Amino acid sequence: MKDRLRRFLNIDRRWLFLLLSVVMIWPIIHPSGIAGRTTQQSVKDFYDFIENLKENDFVILGVDYDPSIKPELQPQAVAALRHLFRRNVRVCILTFISGAPGLIEEIKQTVPQEAGKEYGKDYVIMAYNPNYMAAMTQMSIDFYKAYEKDAEGNTVKGMPVMKGINTYRDMAGVVEITGTGMLDAWVAYVGDKYNVPIIGGTTAISQLGYGPYLQNRQLLGLLGGMRGGSEYETLTGRKDKATSGIDALNLSHMLVIILILTSNIILLVLKEKN
Amino acid sequence: MVNNIMKKILRLLLCISAVLTVQTVYAGQAGKTAAQLIENATAEDMPYDSGGDILLRWPVDKNAEGIIYEIYAYNTINSEKNAEKNRKWKLVDSFPAFEKTADRMRLPFWAWKHNAGEYAVKISLNSIDESATDGTAVEFIIKAVKNGKTVAESRVLEAVSEDNWFNLPRLNGLIMVIIITTAFFITVSRARKQGLFIRRIAGLDAIDEAIGRATEMGKPVFYSTGISGISGVNTIASLSILGEVSRKIAEYDSLIKIPHYDPVVMSVAKETVKQAYIEAGRPDSYRDSCNFFLSSDQFSYAASLDGMIEREKPAACFFMGYFLAESLLLTEVGAATGAIQIAATDSESQLPFFFTSCDYTLIGEELYAAGAYLSREPMLLSVLKLQDFGKLFMMISVIAGGIAVAAAAALHCDAFVNGLLNLFTNY
Amino acid sequence: MLIIKKYIPLAIVMIVGLLTLATYYVPAKASQAYLSTLNQWEVIVSGFAFLLGLISLLMTHYKKIVRHEDGWGYSIFVFLGFLAVVIPGIISHGAQADNGTLTSLGWSFRYLYNPLASTMFAVLAFYIVSTAFRSFRIKSAQAFVLFIAAFILILGNVPAGQMLWDTLLGWTGCCSISDIIQWIMQVPSVAAKRGIMIGITIGAVVTSLKIIFGIERQYMGRD
Repeated sequence: MKDRLRRFLNIDRRWLFLLLSVVMIWPIIHPSGIAGRTTQQSVKDFYDFIENLKENDFVILGVDYDPSIKPELQPQAVAALRHLFRRNVRVCILTFISGAPGLIEEIKQTVPQEAGKEYGKDYVIMAYNPNYMAAMTQMSIDFYKAYEKDAEGNTVKGMPVMKGINTYRDMAGVVEITGTGMLDAWVAYVGDKYNVPIIGGTTAISQLGYGPYLQNRQLLGLLGGMRGGSEYETLTGRKDKATSGIDALNLSHMLVIILILTSNIILLVLKEKN
Repeated sequence: MVNNIMKKILRLLLCISAVLTVQTVYAGQAGKTAAQLIENATAEDMPYDSGGDILLRWPVDKNAEGIIYEIYAYNTINSEKNAEKNRKWKLVDSFPAFEKTADRMRLPFWAWKHNAGEYAVKISLNSIDESATDGTAVEFIIKAVKNGKTVAESRVLEAVSEDNWFNLPRLNGLIMVIIITTAFFITVSRARKQGLFIRRIAGLDAIDEAIGRATEMGKPVFYSTGISGISGVNTIASLSILGEVSRKIAEYDSLIKIPHYDPVVMSVAKETVKQAYIEAGRPDSYRDSCNFFLSSDQFSYAASLDGMIEREKPAACFFMGYFLAESLLLTEVGAATGAIQIAATDSESQLPFFFTSCDYTLIGEELYAAGAYLSREPMLLSVLKLQDFGKLFMMISVIAGGIAVAAAAALHCDAFVNGLLNLFTNY
Repeated sequence: MLIIKKYIPLAIVMIVGLLTLATYYVPAKASQAYLSTLNQWEVIVSGFAFLLGLISLLMTHYKKIVRHEDGWGYSIFVFLGFLAVVIPGIISHGAQADNGTLTSLGWSFRYLYNPLASTMFAVLAFYIVSTAFRSFRIKSAQAFVLFIAAFILILGNVPAGQMLWDTLLGWTGCCSISDIIQWIMQVPSVAAKRGIMIGITIGAVVTSLKIIFGIERQYMGRD
């Protein structure tokens, strides 16, 4: 018996991988649809910020993640863009990550059409810029020195969507969805320096790191990982990919809890036997 | 009796006339006072900025209830085109009375007088005209509007915006930098030859053990400098540790492999490792191919390094620098192959992953102290002392500052509280 | 020779370091222009450095293939992957879409790179489970505290866990698991994080001073 328990404690990790695969594939085939009971305050704040924007306000939407984190962050970006379009806010989408333009293209092919929004009039997509510090600083003096042309090579100044926009002072805020430290850069170089309201979406693992910013109101709202995305989708009234992933998240968390409890109980039993 | 009635009527008349006089004076003073107060308005360049803003100031009229102030601007660069009467004044700001007073400016007490009795309105040149730039004169008119009618209007104010050479609000930060730099020089100049006491850091002591194990097993040592570029201080700290580790590897005649995320870091690491081999007296053992570039993509780097660890089964893995999500991918594979793993990172979100899967983990600032710890150079050790004093200062500031602010708030000493908060705010 | 190899680089580091520090306190346009120029130079240098890295990568794998070293088969995939993205990129002039239609580069990005990158990130989930099983074993008092905090956080982050908590402990009228998680995240976690951040920042400041004033010279190789 002791040997079996010890063998279980030192089980080949591939069995655990197989178990996890089954646990995560099952809810995709048979969704359970257990709804979340609470909504985090930072998610509510994120929602309220966009909800309180006025028609024709101008907002920057930063899409700064690469394909590896797409499953976690793309639902947040899509939900945020839908919400902004619903509020009839003008959106400027930009990125400082080389892997993101393809993801922005994916968003562009679906979301604006659903909302009936026109490129150049309701939204614009800027070309990829590798130098985030220079761009963020330039936009405080003259937006068009940072971004002369959009992603398709058209001159940005003069577009209806850019009417009256010259610097951050003409903008209502920045919505930054990122899996890198880009949100820190927006807060430090733009939010703090020029008093621009910033809200963000990030991975679950990075969410904790933004606690101090939320407390000091340097960040006015935050979506954390798939859970944050799912709660936000519930608030906006349109459940999509983030919500559908919650089932798998649910079960995999329960599996981790069961495994941790089991290993500790076995350890206790073995200690007592010894 | 008639006299009494007359006296009463006279008193009544006096009262009524007094009231009427006061009201007339009051009404006259409200209009007259507002106009006079706007007449004292000034326009000047906004201080402490990089240009592009003008500051308008005028005294607050305490009787200005219901008044909306409107600010109109005109770019004089257009003067040649427009005759005076054809000027198109643009409304650039409008706000109700008692808002935008000088006490609401987000500036510290040493750079700004927080006077609630004065309006201080910042106007951006961008809101006036596309052609409004620093150096061109801009004219302003301030109007006080009540119930849709202008009750007062200022004279035409003119100002020229320009950039400034010193950001006075940041004086607190500059003084802090000067103090730290002075302490730094004092510490360096007093570097003692016999060395200072540093508490034991298990992870760094284990480096010898790890390299010895690699030599016995005939397996390589893998060293990762993280996914930050050369401009990251954490990468520089990692390179200083790499120098020490390479020197030990050269002495043991073992093998080191350093896969890189950034090509610039690779070039620098080549110099560092080569120098270490020369210092150890083994220049012939050095191989340029020990430093190689993998990928500048986070997960491609992790996948490639994982594959190498899986195939070559190194005896020891060092993860020193800035890591993100790939940290667990790397350390878990290393743990599976049975390598000794020593990690050091300043990325606090990855510390839990390193703790659970590595044998030794250095937290945050220990990465920066490692170079001094390994080399035992007196100058570097002395500078380490500066780090400790910095932390001591922080601890005292937090505790003392918290007590001071709480006590002052309880005693309603708002000026002291604001002053103290200003001192520790970054502008 | 020493002047070129040692003193000139040190002088460059010191001058540029101090100037860049000064720009934080000098808002003048000259300071902005300096920062802007420096950023542009950094981008240009990074571009050329990437070329260096690319050549190093291709040469390393070419040698592996030629010498039939261990794992040389995988090196072929380096070249295949490189060509699978570079050639479409050249053909489509770097554009991923053309009037809504995917170009060949867009295709390789969406159907090759996206799934591969997502897969690598997804593998993390498996490793987290195996690490959690191995590491969250209570062997000391600190490990017990870690276990309790992790247990509550994992439980409270999913609807099923919240239901379980409410069913087992809801009758006590005590705070919900979300409140406890909020407290853990906002009080002890943030406090610990702030402490670590302060230490890291001070370390970074001192290291930066060491670099600017030439005390830390590992990056240049010593003479």
